[in-house]
Amino acid sequence: MQEIASSLWRSAARTDTGKVRARNEDAFLALPEQGLWVVADGMGGHQNGALASRLIVEYLAEPSEGNLQQRLVELRKRLHGLNRRLGQELTVTAERPDTLIGSTVVALLVDGDRAACVWAGDSRCYLWRGSRLYQLSRDHSLRQQLIDEQQYSPEQAARHPSAHALTRAIGASEELQLDILELDVLPGDAFLLCSDGLYQGLSSDALGAALNLPSAHFALQRLFEQALDGPARDNLSAVVIRR
Amino acid sequence: MTEQLLESEQVLNGEACDLTYFALAATATQAEKNEQPRSSAPARLGELPDVLGGRYKIERLLGVGGMGAVYRARDLLREQFGDPEPYVALKTLSDDFAEYPDANSLLYSEFALTARLNHPNVVRLFGFEVDVPSQRAFLILELLKGPTLDQLLCERPEGLPWDELSEIAIALLEALTYSHQLGVLHGDLKPSNVMLADDGLRLFDYGLGQPVEGLLPGLPRLCRNRFTAWTPRYAALELLDGAPLSPAADVYALACVLYELASGRHPFRRLSAKQAKSMELDKQLQRPEQLPVHCWPALRTALAFEQAQRTISCAELLHAFRAPPLGRWTRWLRGTH
Repeated sequence: MQEIASSLWRSAARTDTGKVRARNEDAFLALPEQGLWVVADGMGGHQNGALASRLIVEYLAEPSEGNLQQRLVELRKRLHGLNRRLGQELTVTAERPDTLIGSTVVALLVDGDRAACVWAGDSRCYLWRGSRLYQLSRDHSLRQQLIDEQQYSPEQAARHPSAHALTRAIGASEELQLDILELDVLPGDAFLLCSDGLYQGLSSDALGAALNLPSAHFALQRLFEQALDGPARDNLSAVVIRR
Repeated sequence: MTEQLLESEQVLNGEACDLTYFALAATATQAEKNEQPRSSAPARLGELPDVLGGRYKIERLLGVGGMGAVYRARDLLREQFGDPEPYVALKTLSDDFAEYPDANSLLYSEFALTARLNHPNVVRLFGFEVDVPSQRAFLILELLKGPTLDQLLCERPEGLPWDELSEIAIALLEALTYSHQLGVLHGDLKPSNVMLADDGLRLFDYGLGQPVEGLLPGLPRLCRNRFTAWTPRYAALELLDGAPLSPAADVYALACVLYELASGRHPFRRLSAKQAKSMELDKQLQRPEQLPVHCWPALRTALAFEQAQRTISCAELLHAFRAPPLGRWTRWLRGTH
Protein backbone atom coordinates (compact mmCIF):
# COMPACT_ATOMS: atom_id res chain seq x y z
CA MET A 1 0.00 0.00 0.00
CA GLN A 2 1.27 3.46 -0.67
CA GLU A 3 -0.03 6.79 0.50
CA ILE A 4 1.25 9.99 -0.98
CA ALA A 5 0.35 13.44 0.19
CA SER A 6 0.80 16.70 -1.66
CA SER A 7 -0.42 20.17 -0.86
CA LEU A 8 -3.59 19.67 -2.87
CA TRP A 9 -4.46 16.07 -3.48
CA ARG A 10 -4.09 13.00 -1.34
CA SER A 11 -4.37 9.52 -2.67
CA ALA A 12 -3.97 5.97 -1.50
CA ALA A 13 -3.50 3.05 -3.85
CA ARG A 14 -3.22 -0.70 -3.53
CA THR A 15 -3.39 -3.86 -5.58
CA ASP A 16 -3.88 -7.44 -4.42
CA THR A 17 -3.74 -10.76 -6.25
CA GLY A 18 -6.93 -11.93 -4.51
CA LYS A 19 -7.54 -15.42 -3.21
CA VAL A 20 -7.75 -17.46 -6.40
CA ARG A 21 -5.53 -16.11 -9.16
CA ALA A 22 -1.91 -17.21 -9.27
CA ARG A 23 -0.59 -13.85 -10.38
CA ASN A 24 -1.57 -10.23 -10.37
CA GLU A 25 -2.28 -8.76 -13.80
CA ASP A 26 -3.40 -5.39 -12.43
CA ALA A 27 -1.23 -2.30 -12.17
CA PHE A 28 -1.81 1.16 -10.74
CA LEU A 29 -0.23 4.58 -10.76
CA ALA A 30 -0.68 7.31 -8.16
CA LEU A 31 1.07 10.62 -8.87
CA PRO A 32 -0.84 13.24 -6.84
CA GLU A 33 1.89 15.82 -7.44
CA GLN A 34 1.19 15.51 -11.17
CA GLY A 35 -2.56 15.14 -10.76
CA LEU A 36 -2.55 11.71 -12.44
CA TRP A 37 -3.90 8.35 -11.30
CA VAL A 38 -4.36 5.15 -13.30
CA VAL A 39 -5.64 1.61 -12.88
CA ALA A 40 -5.01 -1.01 -15.60
CA ASP A 41 -6.19 -4.61 -15.67
CA GLY A 42 -4.21 -6.76 -18.08
CA MET A 43 -5.20 -9.82 -20.06
CA GLY A 44 -3.31 -12.30 -22.15
CA GLY A 45 -2.34 -15.41 -20.25
CA HIS A 46 0.98 -16.33 -18.66
CA GLN A 47 2.69 -13.11 -17.70
CA ASN A 48 1.44 -11.18 -20.72
CA GLY A 49 -1.48 -9.56 -18.92
CA ALA A 50 0.77 -8.31 -16.17
CA LEU A 51 3.24 -6.97 -18.74
CA ALA A 52 0.49 -5.14 -20.63
CA SER A 53 -0.92 -3.37 -17.58
CA ARG A 54 2.56 -2.54 -16.35
CA LEU A 55 3.56 -1.17 -19.74
CA ILE A 56 0.56 1.17 -19.72
CA VAL A 57 1.32 2.43 -16.25
CA GLU A 58 5.02 2.95 -17.04
CA TYR A 59 4.27 4.87 -20.24
CA LEU A 60 1.71 7.10 -18.54
CA ALA A 61 4.09 7.76 -15.63
CA GLU A 62 6.53 9.59 -17.90
CA PRO A 63 6.17 13.31 -17.11
CA SER A 64 3.82 15.28 -19.30
CA GLU A 65 3.82 19.09 -19.55
CA GLY A 66 1.10 21.66 -20.04
CA ASN A 67 -2.46 22.33 -19.01
CA LEU A 68 -5.21 19.75 -18.67
CA GLN A 69 -6.03 19.73 -22.39
CA GLN A 70 -2.40 19.35 -23.42
CA ARG A 71 -1.84 16.56 -20.91
CA LEU A 72 -5.03 14.89 -22.09
CA VAL A 73 -3.84 14.98 -25.70
CA GLU A 74 -0.50 13.48 -24.65
CA LEU A 75 -2.13 10.76 -22.57
CA ARG A 76 -4.40 9.78 -25.43
CA LYS A 77 -1.46 9.76 -27.83
CA ARG A 78 0.44 7.38 -25.56
CA LEU A 79 -2.55 5.06 -25.21
CA HIS A 80 -3.10 4.98 -28.98
CA GLY A 81 0.60 4.22 -29.44
CA LEU A 82 0.38 1.36 -26.96
CA ASN A 83 -2.71 0.07 -28.71
CA ARG A 84 -0.74 -0.21 -31.92
CA ARG A 85 2.23 -1.75 -30.14
CA LEU A 86 0.17 -4.44 -28.41
CA GLY A 87 -2.26 -5.00 -31.25
CA GLN A 88 -0.16 -4.88 -34.40
CA GLU A 89 3.47 -5.29 -33.50
CA LEU A 90 3.40 -8.53 -31.51
CA THR A 91 5.47 -11.50 -32.52
CA VAL A 92 3.27 -14.58 -32.47
CA THR A 93 4.10 -18.27 -32.72
CA ALA A 94 2.52 -20.77 -35.08
CA GLU A 95 1.18 -22.62 -32.05
CA ARG A 96 -0.59 -19.55 -30.75
CA PRO A 97 -1.24 -17.29 -33.72
CA ASP A 98 -4.08 -15.51 -31.96
CA THR A 99 -2.02 -14.38 -29.00
CA LEU A 100 -3.68 -11.40 -27.45
CA ILE A 101 -2.02 -9.02 -25.07
CA GLY A 102 -4.16 -6.22 -23.81
CA SER A 103 -5.32 -4.23 -20.86
CA THR A 104 -8.13 -2.07 -19.64
CA VAL A 105 -7.23 1.41 -18.53
CA VAL A 106 -8.94 4.06 -16.47
CA ALA A 107 -7.08 7.30 -15.81
CA LEU A 108 -7.95 10.45 -13.90
CA LEU A 109 -6.19 13.71 -14.73
CA VAL A 110 -6.68 16.77 -12.55
CA ASP A 111 -5.65 20.38 -13.03
CA GLY A 112 -7.01 22.97 -10.61
CA ASP A 113 -10.76 22.62 -10.53
CA ARG A 114 -11.04 20.56 -13.70
CA ALA A 115 -10.70 16.83 -14.07
CA ALA A 116 -10.77 14.42 -16.99
CA CYS A 117 -11.46 10.72 -16.84
CA VAL A 118 -10.27 8.53 -19.74
CA TRP A 119 -11.03 4.85 -20.07
CA ALA A 120 -11.24 1.74 -22.22
CA GLY A 121 -12.60 -1.52 -20.83
CA ASP A 122 -14.38 -2.26 -17.58
CA SER A 123 -12.11 -0.69 -14.98
CA ARG A 124 -14.12 2.09 -13.43
CA CYS A 125 -14.02 5.62 -12.12
CA TYR A 126 -16.47 6.61 -9.39
CA LEU A 127 -17.15 10.00 -7.89
CA TRP A 128 -18.41 10.50 -4.35
CA ARG A 129 -20.07 13.90 -4.21
CA GLY A 130 -22.63 15.29 -1.79
CA SER A 131 -23.22 11.86 -0.21
CA ARG A 132 -24.01 10.28 -3.56
CA LEU A 133 -22.04 7.84 -5.65
CA TYR A 134 -21.70 8.49 -9.37
CA GLN A 135 -20.17 6.08 -11.81
CA LEU A 136 -18.28 8.33 -14.21
CA SER A 137 -17.13 5.59 -16.58
CA ARG A 138 -19.40 3.32 -18.54
CA ASP A 139 -18.03 -0.21 -18.97
CA HIS A 140 -16.95 -1.40 -22.38
CA SER A 141 -18.21 -4.90 -21.69
CA LEU A 142 -20.67 -7.25 -23.33
CA ARG A 143 -22.90 -6.89 -20.27
CA GLN A 144 -23.11 -3.14 -20.74
CA GLN A 145 -23.66 -3.57 -24.45
CA LEU A 146 -26.57 -5.96 -23.87
CA ILE A 147 -28.13 -3.45 -21.50
CA ASP A 148 -27.60 -0.50 -23.84
CA GLU A 149 -28.39 -2.06 -27.19
CA GLN A 150 -30.63 -5.04 -26.53
CA GLN A 151 -32.58 -3.70 -23.59
CA TYR A 152 -31.46 -6.48 -21.25
CA SER A 153 -32.08 -5.80 -17.59
CA PRO A 154 -28.88 -5.67 -15.52
CA GLU A 155 -29.82 -9.08 -14.02
CA GLN A 156 -30.37 -10.68 -17.44
CA ALA A 157 -27.19 -9.22 -18.80
CA ALA A 158 -25.18 -10.41 -15.80
CA ARG A 159 -26.37 -13.99 -16.45
CA HIS A 160 -24.96 -14.00 -19.99
CA PRO A 161 -22.08 -16.50 -20.09
CA SER A 162 -19.73 -13.91 -21.58
CA ALA A 163 -21.04 -10.98 -19.58
CA HIS A 164 -17.55 -9.93 -18.55
CA ALA A 165 -16.08 -10.03 -22.06
CA LEU A 166 -14.64 -6.67 -23.00
CA THR A 167 -15.79 -4.75 -26.04
CA ARG A 168 -12.82 -2.38 -25.88
CA ALA A 169 -9.33 -2.53 -24.43
CA ILE A 170 -5.83 -1.31 -25.21
CA GLY A 171 -4.40 -3.81 -27.70
CA ALA A 172 -7.71 -5.49 -28.53
CA SER A 173 -8.49 -3.96 -31.92
CA GLU A 174 -6.85 -1.92 -34.65
CA GLU A 175 -8.69 1.29 -33.91
CA LEU A 176 -8.89 2.25 -30.28
CA GLN A 177 -11.82 4.32 -29.11
CA LEU A 178 -11.20 5.97 -25.78
CA ASP A 179 -14.03 7.47 -23.81
CA ILE A 180 -13.40 10.77 -22.10
CA LEU A 181 -15.39 12.66 -19.52
CA GLU A 182 -14.46 16.11 -18.30
CA LEU A 183 -15.95 17.66 -15.21
CA ASP A 184 -15.54 20.39 -12.62
CA VAL A 185 -14.12 19.31 -9.29
CA LEU A 186 -15.98 20.52 -6.20
CA PRO A 187 -14.75 20.74 -2.62
CA GLY A 188 -15.30 17.43 -0.83
CA ASP A 189 -15.19 15.32 -3.99
CA ALA A 190 -13.60 11.89 -3.69
CA PHE A 191 -12.72 9.69 -6.66
CA LEU A 192 -12.22 5.95 -6.86
CA LEU A 193 -10.45 4.19 -9.72
CA CYS A 194 -10.70 0.41 -9.54
CA SER A 195 -10.51 -2.85 -11.45
CA ASP A 196 -13.52 -5.14 -11.75
CA GLY A 197 -12.08 -7.44 -9.12
CA LEU A 198 -12.77 -4.75 -6.55
CA TYR A 199 -16.19 -3.48 -7.55
CA GLN A 200 -17.64 -6.90 -8.35
CA GLY A 201 -17.36 -7.95 -4.76
CA LEU A 202 -18.86 -4.81 -3.27
CA SER A 203 -22.27 -3.17 -3.37
CA SER A 204 -22.50 0.45 -4.35
CA ASP A 205 -23.59 1.21 -0.79
CA ALA A 206 -20.35 -0.30 0.45
CA LEU A 207 -18.34 1.73 -2.06
CA GLY A 208 -20.13 4.92 -0.98
CA ALA A 209 -19.69 4.21 2.71
CA ALA A 210 -15.97 3.69 2.23
CA LEU A 211 -15.54 6.85 0.17
CA ASN A 212 -17.41 8.78 2.86
CA LEU A 213 -14.58 8.09 5.31
CA PRO A 214 -12.45 11.14 6.08
CA SER A 215 -9.19 10.04 4.43
CA ALA A 216 -8.14 8.26 1.26
CA HIS A 217 -6.12 5.85 3.37
CA PHE A 218 -9.09 4.82 5.52
CA ALA A 219 -11.34 4.52 2.48
CA LEU A 220 -8.89 2.24 0.73
CA GLN A 221 -8.41 0.13 3.83
CA ARG A 222 -12.16 -0.34 4.20
CA LEU A 223 -12.59 -1.26 0.52
CA PHE A 224 -9.90 -3.93 0.65
CA GLU A 225 -11.03 -5.35 4.00
CA GLN A 226 -14.50 -5.85 2.59
CA ALA A 227 -13.43 -7.13 -0.81
CA LEU A 228 -10.95 -9.59 0.67
CA ASP A 229 -13.61 -10.75 3.10
CA GLY A 230 -15.50 -12.08 0.08
CA PRO A 231 -14.43 -14.69 -2.49
CA ALA A 232 -11.88 -12.29 -4.15
CA ARG A 233 -11.69 -14.50 -7.25
CA ASP A 234 -10.01 -11.85 -9.37
CA ASN A 235 -7.11 -9.47 -8.87
CA LEU A 236 -8.27 -6.28 -7.21
CA SER A 237 -6.87 -2.77 -7.42
CA ALA A 238 -8.05 0.62 -6.29
CA VAL A 239 -6.89 4.21 -6.03
CA VAL A 240 -8.81 6.61 -3.78
CA ILE A 241 -8.23 10.28 -4.46
CA ARG A 242 -9.43 13.28 -2.47
CA ARG A 243 -8.47 16.81 -1.67
CA MET B 1 -17.74 16.80 -24.23
CA THR B 2 -20.87 17.34 -22.26
CA GLU B 3 -22.00 16.16 -18.92
CA GLN B 4 -25.48 15.40 -17.92
CA LEU B 5 -26.91 13.49 -15.02
CA LEU B 6 -29.36 10.73 -15.74
CA GLU B 7 -31.03 10.38 -12.43
CA SER B 8 -32.50 6.93 -12.37
CA GLU B 9 -30.15 4.58 -14.14
CA GLN B 10 -29.38 1.58 -12.00
CA VAL B 11 -26.28 -0.43 -12.41
CA LEU B 12 -24.35 -2.66 -10.07
CA ASN B 13 -25.99 -6.05 -9.99
CA GLY B 14 -29.35 -4.41 -10.41
CA GLU B 15 -29.44 -3.33 -6.81
CA ALA B 16 -31.64 -0.48 -5.79
CA CYS B 17 -29.13 2.26 -5.27
CA ASP B 18 -28.65 5.86 -6.08
CA LEU B 19 -25.76 5.16 -8.41
CA THR B 20 -25.95 7.43 -11.38
CA TYR B 21 -24.21 7.73 -14.70
CA PHE B 22 -22.78 10.81 -16.20
CA ALA B 23 -24.09 10.45 -19.71
CA LEU B 24 -22.03 12.11 -22.38
CA ALA B 25 -21.84 12.34 -26.10
CA ALA B 26 -18.64 10.33 -26.36
CA THR B 27 -20.09 7.31 -24.57
CA ALA B 28 -23.01 7.18 -26.95
CA THR B 29 -20.70 5.92 -29.68
CA GLN B 30 -21.22 2.42 -30.92
CA ALA B 31 -19.23 -0.05 -28.90
CA GLU B 32 -17.04 -2.31 -30.94
CA LYS B 33 -18.19 -5.89 -30.97
CA ASN B 34 -14.74 -7.20 -30.53
CA GLU B 35 -15.23 -9.35 -27.51
CA GLN B 36 -12.12 -10.54 -25.84
CA PRO B 37 -12.55 -12.79 -22.88
CA ARG B 38 -9.86 -12.47 -20.28
CA SER B 39 -7.65 -15.28 -19.43
CA SER B 40 -5.14 -16.08 -16.82
CA ALA B 41 -2.81 -18.97 -16.31
CA PRO B 42 -1.19 -20.43 -13.25
CA ALA B 43 2.34 -19.30 -12.63
CA ARG B 44 5.01 -21.92 -13.11
CA LEU B 45 8.12 -19.85 -13.34
CA GLY B 46 9.08 -17.61 -10.45
CA GLU B 47 8.44 -13.89 -10.63
CA LEU B 48 11.16 -11.86 -12.27
CA PRO B 49 13.51 -10.80 -9.46
CA ASP B 50 14.17 -7.10 -8.80
CA VAL B 51 17.89 -7.58 -9.25
CA LEU B 52 19.14 -9.89 -12.00
CA GLY B 53 22.53 -11.53 -11.86
CA GLY B 54 23.22 -9.81 -8.53
CA ARG B 55 24.01 -6.66 -10.47
CA TYR B 56 21.19 -5.27 -12.60
CA LYS B 57 18.37 -3.53 -10.73
CA ILE B 58 15.26 -3.53 -12.90
CA GLU B 59 13.67 -0.09 -12.95
CA ARG B 60 10.96 -0.04 -15.57
CA LEU B 61 9.40 -1.99 -18.39
CA LEU B 62 10.31 -0.51 -21.76
CA GLY B 63 8.65 -2.87 -24.18
CA VAL B 64 6.73 -6.08 -24.68
CA GLY B 65 7.17 -8.00 -27.90
CA GLY B 66 5.18 -11.17 -27.49
CA MET B 67 8.20 -13.40 -26.94
CA GLY B 68 10.14 -11.26 -24.56
CA ALA B 69 10.17 -8.09 -22.55
CA VAL B 70 12.77 -5.33 -22.36
CA TYR B 71 13.47 -3.44 -19.16
CA ARG B 72 15.55 -0.46 -18.20
CA ALA B 73 17.95 -1.45 -15.44
CA ARG B 74 20.64 0.18 -13.35
CA ASP B 75 24.00 -1.55 -13.35
CA LEU B 76 24.81 -1.50 -9.63
CA LEU B 77 28.45 -2.33 -10.26
CA ARG B 78 28.94 0.60 -12.60
CA GLU B 79 27.03 2.78 -10.18
CA GLN B 80 29.35 1.72 -7.36
CA PHE B 81 32.29 2.99 -9.37
CA GLY B 82 30.61 6.34 -9.83
CA ASP B 83 29.39 5.96 -13.42
CA PRO B 84 26.90 8.82 -13.84
CA GLU B 85 24.97 6.88 -16.50
CA PRO B 86 24.87 3.32 -15.22
CA TYR B 87 21.78 2.40 -17.22
CA VAL B 88 21.37 -0.55 -19.55
CA ALA B 89 18.51 -2.37 -21.26
CA LEU B 90 17.82 -5.99 -20.31
CA LYS B 91 15.94 -8.43 -22.47
CA THR B 92 14.28 -11.45 -20.90
CA LEU B 93 12.13 -14.15 -22.48
CA SER B 94 8.43 -14.30 -21.70
CA ASP B 95 7.39 -17.11 -19.42
CA ASP B 96 5.87 -19.00 -22.37
CA PHE B 97 9.31 -19.33 -23.89
CA ALA B 98 11.34 -19.31 -20.71
CA GLU B 99 9.69 -22.66 -19.98
CA TYR B 100 11.07 -24.28 -23.13
CA PRO B 101 13.84 -26.69 -22.10
CA ASP B 102 16.35 -24.90 -24.32
CA ALA B 103 15.02 -21.42 -23.78
CA ASN B 104 18.30 -20.07 -22.52
CA SER B 105 20.15 -21.29 -25.57
CA LEU B 106 17.53 -19.52 -27.66
CA LEU B 107 18.46 -16.23 -26.05
CA TYR B 108 22.13 -17.14 -26.31
CA SER B 109 21.76 -17.63 -30.03
CA GLU B 110 20.44 -14.05 -30.27
CA PHE B 111 23.47 -12.90 -28.32
CA ALA B 112 25.92 -14.84 -30.47
CA LEU B 113 24.37 -13.46 -33.65
CA THR B 114 24.11 -9.83 -32.59
CA ALA B 115 27.45 -9.72 -30.80
CA ARG B 116 29.12 -10.26 -34.18
CA LEU B 117 27.55 -7.09 -35.53
CA ASN B 118 29.42 -3.85 -35.13
CA HIS B 119 27.56 -1.11 -36.97
CA PRO B 120 26.37 2.35 -35.87
CA ASN B 121 22.80 1.43 -36.84
CA VAL B 122 22.64 -1.94 -35.11
CA VAL B 123 22.04 -2.17 -31.37
CA ARG B 124 25.13 -2.93 -29.28
CA LEU B 125 25.11 -5.92 -26.96
CA PHE B 126 27.10 -5.93 -23.75
CA GLY B 127 26.53 -9.48 -22.59
CA PHE B 128 24.53 -12.60 -21.94
CA GLU B 129 24.03 -13.84 -18.41
CA VAL B 130 21.93 -16.24 -16.40
CA ASP B 131 20.42 -15.24 -13.09
CA VAL B 132 21.16 -18.41 -11.16
CA PRO B 133 18.45 -18.31 -8.47
CA SER B 134 15.62 -17.73 -10.97
CA GLN B 135 17.30 -19.66 -13.82
CA ARG B 136 16.43 -16.85 -16.17
CA ALA B 137 18.75 -15.89 -18.97
CA PHE B 138 18.94 -12.28 -20.04
CA LEU B 139 20.74 -10.05 -22.52
CA ILE B 140 22.37 -6.78 -21.56
CA LEU B 141 22.11 -4.14 -24.26
CA GLU B 142 22.83 -0.46 -24.68
CA LEU B 143 19.97 1.67 -23.41
CA LEU B 144 18.52 3.74 -26.22
CA LYS B 145 16.33 6.80 -25.94
CA GLY B 146 14.02 7.88 -28.67
CA PRO B 147 10.84 6.94 -30.49
CA THR B 148 10.47 3.64 -32.30
CA LEU B 149 9.11 3.73 -35.85
CA ASP B 150 5.68 2.51 -34.74
CA GLN B 151 5.48 5.51 -32.40
CA LEU B 152 6.62 7.79 -35.22
CA LEU B 153 3.94 6.36 -37.51
CA CYS B 154 1.28 7.00 -34.87
CA GLU B 155 2.28 10.65 -34.84
CA ARG B 156 2.70 10.95 -38.61
CA PRO B 157 -0.30 9.17 -40.11
CA GLU B 158 0.34 10.91 -43.44
CA GLY B 159 3.84 9.43 -43.77
CA LEU B 160 7.16 11.22 -44.09
CA PRO B 161 8.44 13.61 -46.76
CA TRP B 162 11.38 12.34 -48.82
CA ASP B 163 14.14 14.18 -46.93
CA GLU B 164 13.12 12.59 -43.63
CA LEU B 165 12.16 9.27 -45.19
CA SER B 166 15.43 8.88 -47.09
CA GLU B 167 17.51 9.48 -43.98
CA ILE B 168 15.66 6.75 -42.06
CA ALA B 169 15.44 4.39 -45.02
CA ILE B 170 19.14 4.59 -45.85
CA ALA B 171 20.24 4.04 -42.23
CA LEU B 172 17.89 1.09 -41.90
CA LEU B 173 18.91 -0.40 -45.23
CA GLU B 174 22.57 0.05 -44.33
CA ALA B 175 22.01 -1.79 -41.04
CA LEU B 176 20.30 -4.73 -42.72
CA THR B 177 22.69 -4.83 -45.67
CA TYR B 178 25.57 -4.99 -43.20
CA SER B 179 23.84 -7.79 -41.27
CA HIS B 180 23.24 -9.78 -44.42
CA GLN B 181 26.84 -9.28 -45.53
CA LEU B 182 27.92 -10.89 -42.27
CA GLY B 183 25.47 -13.72 -42.78
CA VAL B 184 23.04 -12.65 -40.09
CA LEU B 185 19.32 -12.63 -40.91
CA HIS B 186 17.00 -10.58 -38.70
CA GLY B 187 13.78 -12.56 -38.98
CA ASP B 188 11.37 -10.08 -37.38
CA LEU B 189 11.70 -6.67 -38.99
CA LYS B 190 8.88 -4.31 -38.09
CA PRO B 191 8.46 -0.68 -37.02
CA SER B 192 8.70 -1.41 -33.29
CA ASN B 193 12.13 -3.03 -33.78
CA VAL B 194 13.68 0.17 -35.13
CA MET B 195 14.44 3.12 -32.88
CA LEU B 196 15.37 6.67 -33.77
CA ALA B 197 17.85 7.10 -30.94
CA ASP B 198 19.39 10.43 -30.03
CA ASP B 199 22.57 9.53 -31.89
CA GLY B 200 21.04 7.76 -34.86
CA LEU B 201 18.83 4.91 -35.95
CA ARG B 202 19.18 1.46 -34.39
CA LEU B 203 17.87 -1.86 -35.61
CA PHE B 204 17.34 -4.24 -32.71
CA ASP B 205 15.72 -7.48 -31.56
CA TYR B 206 17.40 -10.28 -33.47
CA GLY B 207 15.37 -12.69 -31.33
CA LEU B 208 14.21 -14.62 -34.39
CA GLY B 209 17.47 -14.07 -36.22
CA GLN B 210 19.34 -16.87 -37.94
CA PRO B 211 22.79 -17.28 -39.40
CA VAL B 212 22.76 -18.08 -43.11
CA GLU B 213 23.43 -21.70 -43.86
CA GLY B 214 26.95 -22.79 -43.02
CA LEU B 215 27.82 -19.80 -40.90
CA LEU B 216 28.46 -20.36 -37.20
CA PRO B 217 28.09 -24.13 -37.29
CA GLY B 218 27.27 -25.52 -33.90
CA LEU B 219 25.39 -22.46 -32.79
CA PRO B 220 22.01 -23.47 -31.42
CA ARG B 221 19.72 -22.86 -34.33
CA LEU B 222 16.23 -21.77 -33.71
CA CYS B 223 14.49 -24.45 -35.68
CA ARG B 224 11.57 -22.99 -37.54
CA ASN B 225 9.83 -26.35 -37.77
CA ARG B 226 9.62 -26.63 -34.05
CA PHE B 227 9.50 -23.00 -33.19
CA THR B 228 7.80 -20.88 -35.78
CA ALA B 229 7.14 -17.26 -35.00
CA TRP B 230 6.51 -14.05 -36.88
CA THR B 231 4.71 -10.74 -36.82
CA PRO B 232 1.74 -11.32 -39.12
CA ARG B 233 1.73 -7.98 -40.94
CA TYR B 234 5.41 -8.07 -41.81
CA ALA B 235 6.10 -11.76 -42.40
CA ALA B 236 6.86 -12.84 -45.97
CA LEU B 237 4.44 -15.28 -47.54
CA GLU B 238 6.92 -18.16 -47.60
CA LEU B 239 7.53 -17.88 -43.83
CA LEU B 240 3.80 -18.23 -43.22
CA ASP B 241 3.95 -21.36 -45.38
CA GLY B 242 6.76 -22.85 -43.31
CA ALA B 243 9.77 -21.99 -45.46
CA PRO B 244 13.06 -21.24 -43.69
CA LEU B 245 14.14 -17.67 -43.07
CA SER B 246 16.03 -16.13 -45.97
CA PRO B 247 17.43 -12.71 -46.90
CA ALA B 248 14.39 -12.31 -49.16
CA ALA B 249 12.03 -12.61 -46.19
CA ASP B 250 13.89 -9.78 -44.43
CA VAL B 251 13.63 -7.75 -47.64
CA TYR B 252 9.84 -8.18 -47.74
CA ALA B 253 9.43 -7.07 -44.12
CA LEU B 254 11.73 -4.10 -44.61
CA ALA B 255 9.87 -3.09 -47.77
CA CYS B 256 6.59 -3.11 -45.82
CA VAL B 257 8.17 -0.79 -43.24
CA LEU B 258 9.54 1.55 -45.92
CA TYR B 259 6.21 1.70 -47.74
CA GLU B 260 4.47 2.48 -44.46
CA LEU B 261 6.95 5.25 -43.65
CA ALA B 262 6.42 6.81 -47.08
CA SER B 263 2.64 6.67 -47.11
CA GLY B 264 1.59 6.31 -43.46
CA ARG B 265 -0.23 3.13 -44.51
CA HIS B 266 0.72 -0.52 -44.50
CA PRO B 267 1.06 -1.59 -48.17
CA PHE B 268 -1.58 -4.31 -47.84
CA ARG B 269 -4.18 -2.79 -45.53
CA ARG B 270 -2.47 -4.26 -42.46
CA LEU B 271 -3.20 -7.76 -43.70
CA SER B 272 -0.85 -10.70 -43.67
CA ALA B 273 0.84 -11.61 -46.96
CA LYS B 274 -1.41 -14.66 -47.21
CA GLN B 275 -4.62 -12.67 -46.85
CA ALA B 276 -3.35 -9.90 -49.12
CA LYS B 277 -2.36 -12.39 -51.81
CA SER B 278 -5.74 -14.08 -51.78
CA MET B 279 -7.31 -10.66 -52.29
CA GLU B 280 -4.76 -9.81 -55.00
CA LEU B 281 -3.93 -6.58 -53.25
CA ASP B 282 -0.55 -6.42 -54.97
CA LYS B 283 -2.32 -5.53 -58.21
CA GLN B 284 -3.64 -2.35 -56.63
CA LEU B 285 -0.34 -1.28 -55.14
CA GLN B 286 0.44 2.35 -55.95
CA ARG B 287 3.61 4.34 -55.48
CA PRO B 288 3.32 6.44 -52.32
CA GLU B 289 3.25 10.08 -53.40
CA GLN B 290 6.17 11.02 -51.21
CA LEU B 291 8.38 8.29 -52.64
CA PRO B 292 10.52 9.42 -55.59
CA VAL B 293 9.74 7.69 -58.85
CA HIS B 294 13.20 6.13 -59.12
CA CYS B 295 12.75 4.17 -55.85
CA TRP B 296 9.42 2.62 -56.79
CA PRO B 297 10.47 -0.24 -59.10
CA ALA B 298 12.90 -1.46 -56.43
CA LEU B 299 10.41 -1.18 -53.58
CA ARG B 300 7.68 -2.74 -55.71
CA THR B 301 9.91 -5.75 -56.42
CA ALA B 302 10.79 -6.05 -52.72
CA LEU B 303 7.07 -6.23 -51.91
CA ALA B 304 6.45 -9.23 -54.20
CA PHE B 305 4.50 -11.97 -52.42
CA GLU B 306 6.32 -14.80 -54.16
CA GLN B 307 9.88 -15.28 -53.03
CA ALA B 308 10.93 -16.15 -56.59
CA GLN B 309 9.71 -12.77 -57.80
CA ARG B 310 11.30 -10.82 -54.97
CA THR B 311 14.46 -10.57 -57.00
CA ILE B 312 16.14 -7.76 -55.16
CA SER B 313 18.66 -7.85 -52.37
CA CYS B 314 18.84 -5.48 -49.45
CA ALA B 315 22.02 -3.97 -50.96
CA GLU B 316 20.21 -3.31 -54.26
CA LEU B 317 17.31 -1.71 -52.43
CA LEU B 318 19.81 0.48 -50.61
CA HIS B 319 21.40 1.42 -53.92
CA ALA B 320 18.02 2.54 -55.27
CA PHE B 321 17.27 4.66 -52.21
CA ARG B 322 20.74 6.23 -52.28
CA ALA B 323 20.49 7.28 -55.92
CA PRO B 324 19.74 10.98 -56.28
CA PRO B 325 16.17 11.66 -57.39
CA LEU B 326 15.99 12.28 -61.10
CA GLY B 327 15.29 15.81 -62.20
CA ARG B 328 12.17 16.52 -64.18
CA TRP B 329 14.11 16.78 -67.48
CA THR B 330 16.04 13.59 -66.91
CA ARG B 331 12.81 11.73 -66.22
CA TRP B 332 11.33 13.17 -69.39
CA LEU B 333 14.38 12.22 -71.42
CA ARG B 334 14.31 8.69 -70.01
CA GLY B 335 10.59 8.43 -70.46
CA THR B 336 9.93 7.54 -66.81
CA HIS B 337 7.65 10.49 -66.09
